[in-house]
Order: sequence, then structure tokens, then C-alpha cells
Amino acid sequence: MSVSAAEVGTTLPPLTVRVTRETLVRYAGASGDFNPIHWSDHAATALGLPGVIAHGMLTMGLAARAVTDWAGPDARLVSYGVRFTRPVPVPDDGVGAELLVAGTVTAVDADSVTVTLDVTCAGEKVLGAAKAVLAAGAA
Amino acid sequence: VTRGKLAEFAAALGDPLVEGSGPVVAPPTFGAVVTGPAWDVLFTDPELGLSLSRVVHADQQFRYHRPLEPGDVVTATLSITKVRVRGTTEIITTSVEVRDAVEQPVLVADATFVHSREEAA
Repeated sequence: MSVSAAEVGTTLPPLTVRVTRETLVRYAGASGDFNPIHWSDHAATALGLPGVIAHGMLTMGLAARAVTDWAGPDARLVSYGVRFTRPVPVPDDGVGAELLVAGTVTAVDADSVTVTLDVTCAGEKVLGAAKAVLAAGAA
Repeated sequence: VTRGKLAEFAAALGDPLVEGSGPVVAPPTFGAVVTGPAWDVLFTDPELGLSLSRVVHADQQFRYHRPLEPGDVVTATLSITKVRVRGTTEIITTSVEVRDAVEQPVLVADATFVHSREEAA
């Protein structure tokens, strides 16, 4: 319903996601990405990072929820792409990091609806050129 | 692709997986579970001599033919589509094609990795 009614300029309900070390551990296990920079401060700082950072694919996956929550289970994705422009540090302080995901419909044609996502952490853009294309005809 | 793995992945993203009457649909980035082992092969290939600890994932794009579903048996094939060298930095563009048991395309995962030949300072 949301997708079929979409017009250029339609905004998606914004999404706020808290990312903690627990989020990273869960994602590591679920995805199979056990790169230690996502769970070990020792490994991360040895590579010159400020500390443990979130998996880029986790940030990408969390941001996608703004689209799938809005579009519903029957919507069909055609493509989804992002650039990882800035790492998301996740300190082990019981607070972690907060991602804000805002989405806007930026193109509508006969076949597809394009949503552009703005994903920030502490006021800084962490994903660039984040776009999801949905099939217009589905559901 | 199992229902359990899909549920685990969806839970890790806080994604309410659709259960019940309809099919369970994979979250959009579930393709990473399938393409991850292909990336691992790239980063551990002795001939290429890459090191995961000096790799930065620069961009990622999925193109979907259909969603992954429980019961799918899929094969991921990685191609290196472009390598640009800037001094000691290599910009490696890869494409992973995921096909099902009857060779039909499911998704394509394109990624760019930036690899540094020098140790981090």
C-alpha cells in the first residue's frame, strides 16, 4: 500500500536503532563475519581504529529495516546499495551507538519506486549513496 | 538456507520476520551470509596475497532476482571484475553471483574492497 501510493518526496517513518556490543556479537554469529575489529578493542586499536566498529553490513542491514518496515512483507526489492563512508564506533559502555535512518522517495516510474536513505550516527553520515529500488507492481 | 538461519539473522537485525501463513522472506542483506564464504576465499587465496586485516569494505550493492527462502540450496561464484592500483593501495571490485539448485539466478552482490599492501602504522 505504501509503495503503490508513493510519490517523489514521500518520507518514510524514521527509524532509530541502538547498536551495542551485544548487537555486534549477535550479528557476527548470524552473518559468519568474525573479523575481530567488530568485537575486540585490542584488534581494532592495533589497526589504528579508535576501538571496535560495527560491521558495515550490519549498518546496511539495519538501515534496510526502514524500507522493509515501510514497504511491508509483500513488497519486492529490485536492488539495494550503499557506500560505507564512515565507520560506526561501538564503545563497550552500556550505551553503544545510535543510528538514525531517514528515507525519502526520490524517484517513481512505471516499474519502480526508489528510496534514498540518510543514515547518521552522532550527526555524521555513515552511509553514502544509500538507495533501495522496489518493484512498483508488487502488492 | 534454513528457517533457523533466517530467523537468527533477522533477530540479529531486530527485523520482525514474517512467519505464519506466508513464506518467510529473507532480510535484504541476508545475501551476505551466502556471499561471505566467497569473500573469505578471496581474502585467504595464497596467490592473491591479500590480508583481511588490511581490507576496508568500501561499497556494497545487491541486485535481486528473487528473495532467498528456506529450503534454497545456493551456490555463490565470485568474480574479480576490476583491480585499480594506487601506490600500495589496491581497489578491488568483485561480483558474487548466487544461483539456486536449478542454476536460476537469485541475486548478485557487487562489492568494492580497498586493500593496503602496507602494514597499519
